[in-house]
Amino acid sequence: MTDTQTGAVPEGEPVTTQLVPPELPGIDKRDAPSAPGKRQSGSEGRVLNVFSHAFLVVWGLLVTLPVLWAIMTSLKTDSEILKSPWALPDELKWNNWSRAWQDANMGDYFMNSVIVVGGSLVGTMLLGAMAAYVIARFEFPGNRFIYYLFISGMSFPIILALVPLFFVMDNMGLLNTYHGLILVYIGYSLPFTVFFLTSFFRTLPTSVAEAAILDGASHTRTFFQVMLPMAKPGLISVGIFNFLGQWNQYLLPTVLNTGEGKQVLPQGLVELAATQGYDGDWSGLFAGLVLATLPVLAVYIVFQRQVQAGLTAGALK
Amino acid sequence: MGSDFNRRDLIKRATAAGLVAAPAATFLTSCASGDDGDGEKVEQGKKTDKNPLAVNESAGLEVVIFDGGFGDKYAKDAEVLYKQAYPKAKVSHSATTKIQTKLQPRFNGGTPPDLIDNSGAEQMDMGTLVGKDQLMDLTPMLDAPSIDDPTKKVRDTLRPGVVEMGQFTGKEVWILYYAYTVYGVWYSQTLLDKHGWEYPKTWDEMLTLCADAKKKGIAGWTYAGKHPYYLPFSMYPMMAKVGGREVLDAIDNLEPNAWHHPAVKAVIEAYYELAAKGYILKGTPGLDHIQSQTKWTEGKAIFIPNGSWVENEAKKTTPKDFQMAVSAPSGLDSSDKMPFGTIWASGGEPFIVPKRAKNPMGGMELLRIMLGEASSRNFVQQVSSLTSMNGGTEGVTLPPGLQSSNDALAAAGENIVNPRLQDWYVALQKEKIGIAALGEMMAGRMKPDECIKKIQKFADDTAKDDSVKKYKHT
Amino acid sequence: MQHGKYRFIVGFLALPLAIYAVFVISPFVQAIYYSFTDWTGLSSDYSWVGLENYDRLLDDEIFWKALRNNLLLLLVLPLVTLGLGLFFAFMLNVGGKRRRGAVIAGVRGSGFYKVVYFFPQVLSIAIVAVLFRYAYEPTEGGALNGFLRAIGLDSVQPLWLGDPDLALWCVMAVMVWCNVGFYVVLFSAGMSSIPRDFYEAALLDGANRFTTFFRITLPLLWDTVQTGWIYMGIIALDSFAVVQIMTIGPGGPDYSTEVLSFYLYTKSFRDGQAGQATALGVALLIVTLIFAGIVMRLGRRERLEF
Repeated sequence: MTDTQTGAVPEGEPVTTQLVPPELPGIDKRDAPSAPGKRQSGSEGRVLNVFSHAFLVVWGLLVTLPVLWAIMTSLKTDSEILKSPWALPDELKWNNWSRAWQDANMGDYFMNSVIVVGGSLVGTMLLGAMAAYVIARFEFPGNRFIYYLFISGMSFPIILALVPLFFVMDNMGLLNTYHGLILVYIGYSLPFTVFFLTSFFRTLPTSVAEAAILDGASHTRTFFQVMLPMAKPGLISVGIFNFLGQWNQYLLPTVLNTGEGKQVLPQGLVELAATQGYDGDWSGLFAGLVLATLPVLAVYIVFQRQVQAGLTAGALK
Repeated sequence: MGSDFNRRDLIKRATAAGLVAAPAATFLTSCASGDDGDGEKVEQGKKTDKNPLAVNESAGLEVVIFDGGFGDKYAKDAEVLYKQAYPKAKVSHSATTKIQTKLQPRFNGGTPPDLIDNSGAEQMDMGTLVGKDQLMDLTPMLDAPSIDDPTKKVRDTLRPGVVEMGQFTGKEVWILYYAYTVYGVWYSQTLLDKHGWEYPKTWDEMLTLCADAKKKGIAGWTYAGKHPYYLPFSMYPMMAKVGGREVLDAIDNLEPNAWHHPAVKAVIEAYYELAAKGYILKGTPGLDHIQSQTKWTEGKAIFIPNGSWVENEAKKTTPKDFQMAVSAPSGLDSSDKMPFGTIWASGGEPFIVPKRAKNPMGGMELLRIMLGEASSRNFVQQVSSLTSMNGGTEGVTLPPGLQSSNDALAAAGENIVNPRLQDWYVALQKEKIGIAALGEMMAGRMKPDECIKKIQKFADDTAKDDSVKKYKHT
Repeated sequence: MQHGKYRFIVGFLALPLAIYAVFVISPFVQAIYYSFTDWTGLSSDYSWVGLENYDRLLDDEIFWKALRNNLLLLLVLPLVTLGLGLFFAFMLNVGGKRRRGAVIAGVRGSGFYKVVYFFPQVLSIAIVAVLFRYAYEPTEGGALNGFLRAIGLDSVQPLWLGDPDLALWCVMAVMVWCNVGFYVVLFSAGMSSIPRDFYEAALLDGANRFTTFFRITLPLLWDTVQTGWIYMGIIALDSFAVVQIMTIGPGGPDYSTEVLSFYLYTKSFRDGQAGQATALGVALLIVTLIFAGIVMRLGRRERLEF
């Protein structure tokens, strides 16, 4: 239960720590030319360049084709899908989408996801930041113990806790409730959030907070009005990390949230897939699949830089 | 920051202790199996002639229906009747194809619904539910007067064998199978007519027919390759035909060497021959039930092991002029122990009322309504399948599949077999015998000998496993 | 002031700690306890049975099959995923046409590649699993076999998930597909922060780009690789969603895709054997710990060599 299992993740000072600036590197830095170096034969460079582009393009296609296939399939008729999975549709069947949204309740599942993730995200960020701040900036007995208690949660398989967790929730009357699921999401997001934000708060200068305290501000006020705004970049990174993790969570709701009408998007999609097995409604299934993908796709495209930074930051810290 | 205080500060220690103590206390109080989490049951209503089960007239009723081959409209229609009888009751209805994923956790949590149609690929293990004492005994409902005729008990209006099927060991009736299903070799009458074939009564004739069909580019058989536990629908009755009922009883009773019986071996080898000689539609092992049925109605294969729900399930994709029919399995030769016509017919759509449901009497009352003439007829008309109530077909024009089921039942007479493996030991029947053995053999990846050995081992393991409750034919 | 500070500390820690203790720590601890009982999970009665659950595991063929599959995943997944991740990251960072004066150069559009590669990582594993379930579909509608037919390979129509020899590899392919992008971005970030003079020095020594990879890039990235190894290991040891949603059965033909996490779920939520299920969970925990230990040890040795 200590750091020894996870070693470098929480504890060690990896070599890269010094190499990676805290703000995380911009993506295209590499393209900028730097100091003149020794000339090499031009042909090696060219061969390598063609070679690497070829591989990169192949993987790029491997990643995009299944997704494009799903989007295309969601706009075809059932018989078109079965006849030829790669042929373009004769006309775009947008009503597959509306059917999935309404008949297959994707709209409801979407709202449930919004409610649950909205609540848990705010809760995770607030509670995680509070705990991390205290752990990072105050000395008290048990500080280390509490820190390791939190981060040990990162390396345990959730599935092990699942059965007892189910009954803990049951006994507290939290099964199949939004707030129950929110609390659980918060609980399981805390280890990483605390781990990440603790190291983030440690990197912030202490002088501003000390000045605020000297001015007579309470610790609480200092935290909310001085420290939180300063920690914004870190909060955004870990916030995106948590958003994606919670939005995409499948295992926990599958067991803890089976109530009628309360299911979240990934559950709804799996249910839709099972129903498809009996109805043969391929187009409706793919429409649902695409609808479930769109929100994350939108978030990703808008915030792609932060998303990449947020998701990988934990591993680099 | 924080370095200016005394490490031995008393307050500090107290705080630390408090920090540890607070979660520890919550920890103890929220210990998992602390209580049963039982929802309270609704109060009993007043027993009258119209309400023999003393249903609480204003209590809510929650029904979950498996949304598969039969859809869920028939149940909704019955719920309307329930609401007419008890206008103050609020009925909540839901339909799903994922019964186990959705409902098993609710059993664990002690808040199951009042009536469940526990069916489909994802049904809950009935043996476990009974073994772990999770179900209500349905006897009060069976002994209540029928909704159509107050002088008759419900149990006397049912088809023969239905009540027994709901029993495990002992007198309690845990399950009411609402649909009456005819399992067997479903075939395309359309194809037989077109090519002047007759349904083969022996396996040799079957092989000849398949060879002929192969020449014409038609596959003899297909089956639900992803759910190979459809294969026993025609294999088990064939085993009974060849070796007698005792063969199936021995299998159900998990007797040692039950699968090494010559009749069992003969049937498994016969089916392997279909695969070995290439009489099975190409790609079948990758098909699910819907896809295999679609191939079959498209005329790509002649025979398919299935049950009578297929007619309704395949409705959407069945060509208008397609004539489907069911037959008893072919036999081997004249030394067979049972006559041609021996068929597997038993209940389908197992309805259960959970013991810890809030309103179990309401669940039973809805079942009583469903077993009435009006609901039964509605079911027959809507989904072309029989119900467990004896009747409901008078004056209804039956579609071809249902007509043929009716005929097959009449032809079978007394020779109806009813293997129980699939309700007693779901895991054994489906994932072990079905997927891991028969499916592998029919896909050509295993020889019959190996398949039999493997199944016998699975059966022996189940017999030995004391965490699985055992049942026996008596 | 001192007093206020402690009130503040307690006030800020109480709620997060309470939630964490109740919903995370306590279930873990209880799981270990219940693995020694015959608890069904359906009622509150249970009795202490000692090591019986563990004993039963030893004779349970499916358990061994699941464990074997998990170990295979544990071995192959990190190797392939991290290998591809390093390869692509290296291509992105040094595979470019050399521009005036630069020692090494990233390929054009490396930012775009990274955006595309990373995309699967943001998709829910449930979405990915459903998508691939249909892509693997061996019949008409399936994308993979459709593609093979389109390029004239009508005779090559594997059953994919329906074939016990292929099924687990199909599962792995999907998990690799999801995760490679993450490591490309991660390793890229690491690589771009390696000071240029390192490369210059190496190139002056006459090393080509590939030897620089092994002599400079990899050793400097080693800690990140090690972290990635653990991340992938944890993913490999879970794989619940992919198996449950995507594979036939679920659990695959002939248990070919059965994994511990899914078997645990079946035992407790289908078979009413919660005690037995938690014993499986503990077995999974032990495998996790052994794995983490091995990675740590290997990591240490590698670093010493450097």
